[in-house]
Amino acid sequence: MLEVEGLHAAYDRVEVLHGVSLTVGAGEFVCVIGANTAGKSTLLRCISRLIPSRGRIAFMGEDLARLPAHRVPGLGIAHVPEGRHVFGGMSVEDNLRAGGYALGRRADLETPLERIYALFPRLAERRDQLAGTLSGGEQQMVALGRALMLSPRLLVLDEPSHGLAPIVVAELHRKLVEIHKEGVSILLVEQNVAVSLAVAERGYVLQSGRVVLEGRAADLAADDRVREAYLGI
Amino acid sequence: MTEAVASPRAAALRPGRAVLIAAVLAVALAVPLGLDPQGYPIRVLTLTLLFAAMGQAWNIVGGLANQISLGHAGFFGIGAYASTILLRDFGLSPWLGMLAGMALAALAAAALAVPTFRLKGHYFALVTLAFGEVMRVIANSWSSVTGGPVGLSVPFAPDSLWMFQFGAARPYYYICLGALVAVTLVFWRIKAGALGYRLRAIKENADAAEVIGVDTFRAKLQAGLISATLTAGLGTVYAQFSYFFDPDTIFGVATISVRMALIAIVGGVGLTFGPIVGAFFIIPVEEFANAALAGRAAGLSAFVYGAVLIAVILLKPEGLLALFAALGKRWRERRR
Repeated sequence: MLEVEGLHAAYDRVEVLHGVSLTVGAGEFVCVIGANTAGKSTLLRCISRLIPSRGRIAFMGEDLARLPAHRVPGLGIAHVPEGRHVFGGMSVEDNLRAGGYALGRRADLETPLERIYALFPRLAERRDQLAGTLSGGEQQMVALGRALMLSPRLLVLDEPSHGLAPIVVAELHRKLVEIHKEGVSILLVEQNVAVSLAVAERGYVLQSGRVVLEGRAADLAADDRVREAYLGI
Repeated sequence: MTEAVASPRAAALRPGRAVLIAAVLAVALAVPLGLDPQGYPIRVLTLTLLFAAMGQAWNIVGGLANQISLGHAGFFGIGAYASTILLRDFGLSPWLGMLAGMALAALAAAALAVPTFRLKGHYFALVTLAFGEVMRVIANSWSSVTGGPVGLSVPFAPDSLWMFQFGAARPYYYICLGALVAVTLVFWRIKAGALGYRLRAIKENADAAEVIGVDTFRAKLQAGLISATLTAGLGTVYAQFSYFFDPDTIFGVATISVRMALIAIVGGVGLTFGPIVGAFFIIPVEEFANAALAGRAAGLSAFVYGAVLIAVILLKPEGLLALFAALGKRWRERRR
């Protein structure tokens, strides 16, 4: 479904991705793990076209590399940016409705809205509250819900567990598994290696802008190099 | 969070506010009837209304799109020069000249937007500042068309609505009041509408807006074009009201560009009534400082004016409307 091949990206003249290749199949749950500065966020920002890149990015046969960022969600790719980035001054419900923006003016937003409230009852309780006044975990739910408004085919998540309490992280990942079961493909980028390998089916290890290891999540979790470098075992 | 970022669906008029607006409008309509139609007070009021409208036009790009422009004098002057030159050379009604100036300003804004909207913060402000200055230099040096540094006089015509010329200040007062209401309605429609929604999303987080599918460049461009077009229209009104202008006043950084921004910022940037409150504070303070202190020491009036502005910003950086709201709240609490 998503095919990335030989992707190079640079900030100014400093190249941070040196030819990354990865695929996400239909209905797959894939994670990309790696240390800070490995280029994980850059990879996602390339896929969403927030920054320019060299190399092939195709989604369901469509060449993404030629599209501006605001056209990407229309194809069915929903990006949950790093650091949540909810619209703090808007209510929870307005944030969610904003997520349906790419669907167009006449789109039915009520059905996805109901589904998201069913998935996150906490958001239903707080629908009129300004999103900026929510806790970090709740804001992450808003950011996730906002992305789901598109009824995306591919959900792209950038460090969703960053800065959240372990108990909230566990809940978040339970939700991701639930979303995945409904048929949404997921590309998850995480520093939290143990948790991501526990929920994903397949994984890539990114190091200094290169894929150094890939395989089934269970195999990666058992791999000595991964255990040593990222799990501290 | 302040009122500026309250939910747009909550922006619908509350009944109490509607009554207040109607009352203020009624007073604004009645005031000139009690004033000498040729006098100084009505001229100051007319200018205040015009500057409020200019601040409001600036508010569309500065307050809603969050692009701090210091070059709006460029559009203002384009409007003034376009209508006056067309009147001088072809006898064209300034109302039609106004439309020509607005179209020209829209073209200039579009040409300016392509390279500048990718710039952030003070870089954008600097480029717009340069734009206004370039327009001033052009007007100064292209003497065959603009009259050069000597300036342009609006050719005299007898009292006529079609020729946009009146012997007394009163008709100009009502035209400026109408312009302020019109620009404010445009601002309010944008703010409460879909474009306002997009602009708010961009203001809060440009990347997040892009990944949900907002074309950030297009939204900012729309706001910029509307703002520039309205500003040019007001430039024509200014030319007809003052009969004379020269490049240094009409394209002035301090006299026009910064003052437009200041009016919106001091009143409450991004708020529907911010520029109106700002203009009714800044213009009278400026006039008073000039009238009362000009004879004393050189520069004293400018010093007092500057000190008052600094005091406001130090007291409440969000502007006068926020200051009034805070004072009102404190007063109600004390009474309890």
